[in-house]
Amino acid sequence: MPIKSPFFPRTSQLCTSMYWKEWAGYHAVSSYGTLHDVEYFAFRYSAGLLDITPLFKYKITGTDSASFLSRVMVRDISQLKIGRVTYCCWCNEDGKVVDDGTVMRRGENEFFVTSADPCFSWFSRFTRGYDVEVNDISDQIAGLAVQGPTSRDILKKFCDVDLDSLKFFSTTSAKVKDFEIYISRTGYTGDLGYELWIENENALTLWDLIMDYGKSYDLRPAGLAALDVTRVEAGLILKDVDYYNALHTLIEDRMSSPYEISLGWTVNLERDPFNGQAALKAEKQAGSNWAIVGLDIDWVEIEELYNRHGLPPEVGSTAWRDSIPIYVDSSMNKQIGYATSGTWSPILKKNIALATIEKKYDQIDSKLQIEVTVEHKRHTVTATVSKPQFYNPERKTSNPVKS
Amino acid sequence: MNDKYDIIVIGGGHNGLTAATKLAKNGKKVAVIEKRQALGGIAAGEEFHPGYKSTGLIHDTSTIRMSVVKSLNLKDFGLNIEEKRPNTTILGSSGECIELSDNIEETCQEISKYSNKDAEAYKDYRSFIASIRPFVDGLMNEMPPDLIKLGTKDLWTLLKKAIGLKRLGNKTMLEFLKVAPMSVADFINERFETEFLKAGLVAPAIYHSYTGPWSSYSTLNLLLWECASANSIIGGPQALVTALEKAAIAVNVDILTNCGAKQVLLDDNNEVMGVLLADDKVVQAPIVASSCTPLVTFYDLLKPNQIEYSLEHSIKHYRSRGTAVKVNLALNKALSLNGLSNIEYARTGNSIDEMEKSFDFVKYRKFSVTPILDIHVPSVSSPELAPENHCVVSVIAHFASHELEGGWSEDPKKVFGQNVIQTLEQYSPGISNSVVGMEVLSPQDLEERYGLANGQVYHGEHAVDQILTRPIPSCMRYSTPISGLYLCGSGSHPGGGITCMPGALGSEAILKNR
Amino acid sequence: MSKRYDSIIIGGGHNGLICAAYLAKAGRKVLVLEKRHVLGGAAVSEELYPGFTFSVASYVVSLFRPHIIRELNLAKHGYEIIPMDCSFLPLPNGDSLARWADPQRSRREIARFSQKDAETYPEFSRVMTHMGKLAKAVIDHPAPDITSMNPRELANIFRLGRTFKGLGPELLHLNTKLVTMSALDFLDLWFESDVLKAPMAVSGIIGTFQGVRSPGTAYVLLHHYMGQLDGSFRSWGFSKGGTGGVSLACASSARSYGAEIRTEAAVQQVLIKNGEARGVVLENGDEILANSIVSNLDPNRTYLKMVGESELDDEVVKEIKRYKLRGSSGKVNLALDRVPEFSCRPGDGDHIRGDVAIAPSIDYLEKAFDQAKYGEFSTRPYINAVIPSLTDPSVAPPGKHILSCFVQYAPYHIKEGAENWPKYREAFGDAVVDTMAEYIPGLKDMILYRQVLTPWDIEQTMGLTEGNIFQGELSLEQLLFQRPLAGYAKYKTSINKLWMCGSGTHPGGGIMGAGGELCAKTMLNARAI
Repeated sequence: MPIKSPFFPRTSQLCTSMYWKEWAGYHAVSSYGTLHDVEYFAFRYSAGLLDITPLFKYKITGTDSASFLSRVMVRDISQLKIGRVTYCCWCNEDGKVVDDGTVMRRGENEFFVTSADPCFSWFSRFTRGYDVEVNDISDQIAGLAVQGPTSRDILKKFCDVDLDSLKFFSTTSAKVKDFEIYISRTGYTGDLGYELWIENENALTLWDLIMDYGKSYDLRPAGLAALDVTRVEAGLILKDVDYYNALHTLIEDRMSSPYEISLGWTVNLERDPFNGQAALKAEKQAGSNWAIVGLDIDWVEIEELYNRHGLPPEVGSTAWRDSIPIYVDSSMNKQIGYATSGTWSPILKKNIALATIEKKYDQIDSKLQIEVTVEHKRHTVTATVSKPQFYNPERKTSNPVKS
Repeated sequence: MNDKYDIIVIGGGHNGLTAATKLAKNGKKVAVIEKRQALGGIAAGEEFHPGYKSTGLIHDTSTIRMSVVKSLNLKDFGLNIEEKRPNTTILGSSGECIELSDNIEETCQEISKYSNKDAEAYKDYRSFIASIRPFVDGLMNEMPPDLIKLGTKDLWTLLKKAIGLKRLGNKTMLEFLKVAPMSVADFINERFETEFLKAGLVAPAIYHSYTGPWSSYSTLNLLLWECASANSIIGGPQALVTALEKAAIAVNVDILTNCGAKQVLLDDNNEVMGVLLADDKVVQAPIVASSCTPLVTFYDLLKPNQIEYSLEHSIKHYRSRGTAVKVNLALNKALSLNGLSNIEYARTGNSIDEMEKSFDFVKYRKFSVTPILDIHVPSVSSPELAPENHCVVSVIAHFASHELEGGWSEDPKKVFGQNVIQTLEQYSPGISNSVVGMEVLSPQDLEERYGLANGQVYHGEHAVDQILTRPIPSCMRYSTPISGLYLCGSGSHPGGGITCMPGALGSEAILKNR
Repeated sequence: MSKRYDSIIIGGGHNGLICAAYLAKAGRKVLVLEKRHVLGGAAVSEELYPGFTFSVASYVVSLFRPHIIRELNLAKHGYEIIPMDCSFLPLPNGDSLARWADPQRSRREIARFSQKDAETYPEFSRVMTHMGKLAKAVIDHPAPDITSMNPRELANIFRLGRTFKGLGPELLHLNTKLVTMSALDFLDLWFESDVLKAPMAVSGIIGTFQGVRSPGTAYVLLHHYMGQLDGSFRSWGFSKGGTGGVSLACASSARSYGAEIRTEAAVQQVLIKNGEARGVVLENGDEILANSIVSNLDPNRTYLKMVGESELDDEVVKEIKRYKLRGSSGKVNLALDRVPEFSCRPGDGDHIRGDVAIAPSIDYLEKAFDQAKYGEFSTRPYINAVIPSLTDPSVAPPGKHILSCFVQYAPYHIKEGAENWPKYREAFGDAVVDTMAEYIPGLKDMILYRQVLTPWDIEQTMGLTEGNIFQGELSLEQLLFQRPLAGYAKYKTSINKLWMCGSGTHPGGGIMGAGGELCAKTMLNARAI
């Protein structure tokens, strides 16, 4: 029985399609309209407004907060500057990923952490010997993502801070009416965008403000279906889809190291001991078994397959999350991995996917075969290996005013 | 004191000294560092009242392993040891007495004063113990196979143990497998009928454990103790410490007292490089052997991020709940118990159900009103411990919760001390009037004085899972996940009590690995 | 004497019926003899009050082996289980905890008491699933005999060893703990909140004469997780029409294969000649001969009553007398004229459609056990209550309900002697109703009918010695190759051609059916009939 986010009074009115999902125990809109396309295009051409309250939120305080988080996270959080955000993952002692999320440094001794799974218990396991307090503020703080090219202009209308100079992965507090919100220039769409954090009691006021000011900038409420397309384009992986929480899997084959899920860049190995350090050092030396890559699926070959049956090519309108076999060649004899999510990218006009494949096949531009089913029969088409990130507009990280 | 050693042993208790001496005998340069002024840890004698000395926190020296005594030539260093278990008198509350001795015939005669059936049963019981002793001795005297990794070599050792078990004969083996998991109450009730005798027999099974006689698996503890208990040291534990100290000095072990360890120092690869002392001096050594409790070793001597969570978690849940209070009494005359004087060792309990009821208190964070007493009167054989014609009584009293409701302040200690004296009154009427001095050491006192987690004297309960893979699987063969750090205290196989075996086997592990 | 049977099964409990079905399916001529007028033994439904069908003794089903359902085609014969969605714990302070099948919902419930526990809960389930795999390897096969040096036995031990080793170091160690620790110590490895630990720990004491702090009870805890193994099956459920439905399905299956089943046919004695079982003598004096006899009765009754000491070796008599039964539980069944509502969470919602535990704290449970240790029934007992009529309208008239309470502790050996239980029966019933009434206001006014079963009554009516519902304590020395006796643990008894198939054999109690199945398969494999 999912519960309602503070925005439910508004989202439930707007969600005319009645398409809902369960997200971390909350009701969450899948798409407001029957088709999610307009919501996708809002993210890419104007702005989309997404309720991200179901994320888990933690406030970490105390004089040892930084060293504590450095022990828990694969990143050296003590290097994070006040007002900055970092994206990283955290591992168990075997170097297998437990969860991923963002860490924001709000002060010398105060951090704000978001995660996909509940992590209070996990974080609390490492507090012995540290002057640190872990507070789960998931139920007190609501979250809204305003994402898209016009997002900055909308926020500027009612926030009293200089958003033009707020850098990518930076945060700031802003006063809105008589309350405060916390803004981070982050998001899950791979575009210019912000995430706003606010006390539950002011949530609806903020929603209304954004909707009001957003009208002139074609802002739309958007659901998870549209988000899913954008995150695949941006090459952002999703827990329980592209990888699993090591604490919740039954077998080791389902566990992944950061290196295996394209998050190797977040690992700072040479420093004080942290969770998974020894295992990750060993893996770094010995090499990983798996890698997440992007796949560019050959359109012409798909078209050809459909043509044979006298059909125009069909691609699903939504992003998919099935496990699709990847082969080394079209004989389908040797499976070397599986795609975990994919979509037709309306903006790139490409059929793309994120796939976990054996590490030795992860050279960029090499050709693999992905399974496609046409008229109930299985075939393969060529898929070209790329980096997971397919879409990365300049505006995502740029500022109009150089600061 | 040098600033560089091959091996530093933390803790100068009987196990620490054993380990150090064994290592030094093998040519290693060894230092023992002891936090307290006196060596010996729980085996050290203390003056608890002006003119009255105890011989150690625990007084059961019967489980000392002769292999250690021999390999360290402790007799040459003055150890006076008899290779028979000391006579122990079981006391009933209506004046009954049975003296258990090494001589089974004599003991049976004693028992037949109360029950011929029990006398017969005791004979069978002793012969059952004798039949399983070779197997149990084998378990106690050797390094345990790695039950968790189960490599080929471990499987082979395990197989040998299994064969050892089978060699007892199917009947003995089946009986052993049948009774070991049983409650000691069931085990003894099946055999005996005299209530106070039954209570006296089950008592060693529940000493220092968080179980009552009705708890399953308590029989295993009884059997282990019965098989191990075979000697007696004249002068008690302190006499052993004195001999061990001489033996250590003879092989040039540096013994540093008043010298606490603050931290085990690790290098960048998480390998041991030395010890940081309480006075912030650094002593270097590539190997450190800790005879402290597992909790102290991993929690206090290492930084939190130097141990992985799984290790921290297992150590946190390594069960170590003290259930005993130590009471030292100074009497101005000799002690007589149920009319007999010159009793050196005695046990009370009255009945199994009374003992169980006494245990029930700890479940609710209280202490027993009529505690079960394990009594030692060391001044009988060592009169120098007390002024002439006076006496010292060492009592270990069960059960008392380590997490007493309201805490172990002076008041509850006083009340519990009175409970002990009132209980003694049953066996020694008028004893209250001859008490001239008394020391009550609560589980909390034991923790503070000896670093015993929750006052658990054995460095962790002797529960089956904690016997099989002591203290935890990744440390069960004395080495630890920290390269260069070893364990050699009672928290390791074969466990607590004065055996010196963890020290001996710990040092063997060090010598074997390097 | 009319015809000769290949096998006679004494006792029509679910294991006896399953054994009969397997033997009949293999073409053997089988006769089942049940003392009572109803089949099922402890898995029995009876209409004790007009319109109300009670699961008199056993009341929920979780461990039934799924392959037995398949192999005996039980679904066709009326085996229907209605899954339970919730475990509900009312608390005396007006609060309550409901654990749901929906993990997020459970997390939020538990988080009210401990957030850490709420998040650790799925990790615990994951580990128990691993442990269950091991348990499955143990319960789905006869126990290997360690006294034997026979190569086949050694191979069995090796197979088990491999399963163990396959767990990996961490889980292997946990397994050692699981077998030897107390339920509470085991749960302490994961959880901190009493409110969560108490209702979980009781799984470790159900049917045993142990407290939640008693070493060895963690193993019984695992028994309760085994149901989760079988993928598509929900772990706990009610049998439609009461637990007797399971037995009736087994009986129907057995009959379909040609087995003959007689009720009100009490066996007095097994006929033994030259140390070999030849048939049975009924209480009415009839003799029926057969090539083999299978007893579904408990080991004590089988050896000491059905066979008799005179036919047994002294050693066997001695060992069987050591076999611990010590029933510890009773049952109070109530017919109610309306829905019993809990003051801490009123209404007839889903929270009371599963099981309800009266286990407010660890100390409460321990105190209940302390009384039992010294020969009294618990005046404030642990109760596991179900209201099957909320999900199965067939068991009570419309709007009326059944409240079925499993109660612990009610020790068979009370201070005054077991035979004096009838004197205390109503006082025991009152203690249970009083306890329930603290959570259900007005309960006493709703009661239309009350049945109180003390362990003495369970012994008298169902023939379970000392009222032990598992036909013997589930303690390590009475499990595996030692259940019931070392050397006679593979369904064979010390008497030639006499077999056992009840819960007193490996793998033990609960409605599993494994005893009946494995006994039949062992007999057939050995070409014993």
